Amino acid sequence: MAHQAHTSVCEAYEEDLVLLHYGDLRDAERQKLDSHLTSCTGCAGYLKELATLLPLTVKSDEPPPEFWQNYSRELRGKIDDVAAKRAWWRNLATIFRPRVIPAFAAAAVVVLALTFTLGKAVWNGNSNPQDDEMAEALPVAENLDFFSAMDLLDDLELLEFIGSQNNNAA
Amino acid sequence: MACLLAAEGVEAFRRSFHSPSDVSETTKGRESRLSNSGDEELVALAQRGDRRAFEELIERHRQKAYHIAFGFARDREEAKDLSQEAFLKAFSNLKKFDGRSSFYTWFYRIVVNVCLDYKRRAKRTAAGEFDETVESQMEPSYQPARPLPLDQHVLAGQISLKVDAALQTLPAKQRTAFILKNHQGLAIKEIAEMMQTAEGTVKVHLHRAVTALRLSLAELV
Repeated sequence: MAHQAHTSVCEAYEEDLVLLHYGDLRDAERQKLDSHLTSCTGCAGYLKELATLLPLTVKSDEPPPEFWQNYSRELRGKIDDVAAKRAWWRNLATIFRPRVIPAFAAAAVVVLALTFTLGKAVWNGNSNPQDDEMAEALPVAENLDFFSAMDLLDDLELLEFIGSQNNNAA
Repeated sequence: MACLLAAEGVEAFRRSFHSPSDVSETTKGRESRLSNSGDEELVALAQRGDRRAFEELIERHRQKAYHIAFGFARDREEAKDLSQEAFLKAFSNLKKFDGRSSFYTWFYRIVVNVCLDYKRRAKRTAAGEFDETVESQMEPSYQPARPLPLDQHVLAGQISLKVDAALQTLPAKQRTAFILKNHQGLAIKEIAEMMQTAEGTVKVHLHRAVTALRLSLAELV
């Protein structure tokens, strides 16, 4: 950390110094920075520090030729697997593609039929036993009214009959 | 006369087939045509199911894909797996490539995404595999090109471990910008295309990455 004290960089130039290190600065900006570097030891030190530090972070690896042979062979095998899997799906899709619309139509009909059949059973199954009793009792009750009306008519006929007999007797 | 006609018929029949040397000539011609084709032409062929065209794309881009993956993984076997995974993803999604960017940009974007996903996965499993990680760091599969003397080798190993740790602490975008610039030497414009961001944003990520590394690796300078 002590090292940071002797490389105090100008904040305004810090980003450009990084780009200068990588050679990614435009001409106009580079000229401006170059003239600043001649008078600023802090920025010059920072640039040197980048030149020392950043290459240390690179870990390069150059595998031998047999590595690349294995690499290509292995990758070809993996691609074969992917292609085979894809072909399998494609074949499956090809089998079903011409029959997709009829299959959907048939499935819709089956679903509707099941809905009506099972739905009816469910609706019937859900009915209240008390309601059933009421349904059975209602016609009986209606019949009772009918019979009571019939009794009344009988009574009326009886009264008429008695009345007519009395008239005859008189 | 009949014999003469029969002989001519046999010759015509023979001519209708390629001799082995003709076949190898045709294959050689096709190979050289593929190797002279541009990436976009090869992609178009591969999109129509030409496997040899895709293999040519692999041959062209495998080294760079491997080196980018190595920059992230810093391990030979992992870099191989990651770069191969990127090729497989490219193969599976080749039909989706619409040519709006170059194949180069599209493919290396896949490589970077695969590497970042791997880092995310590795972070999630790091706690469970701590011992294995330390072991693999002690004996990395990476071999330097030139053998170093023992003390230098130890020092290089220590530096490498410190750099690994410092790179791990960087946020994904900073790490990506840094690896693509510092390790691969790509132009800011290319990095911006790969990261699908503005050049100014890449510069900011790069600057922040360098500042963070400078702080964490101060003792190395």
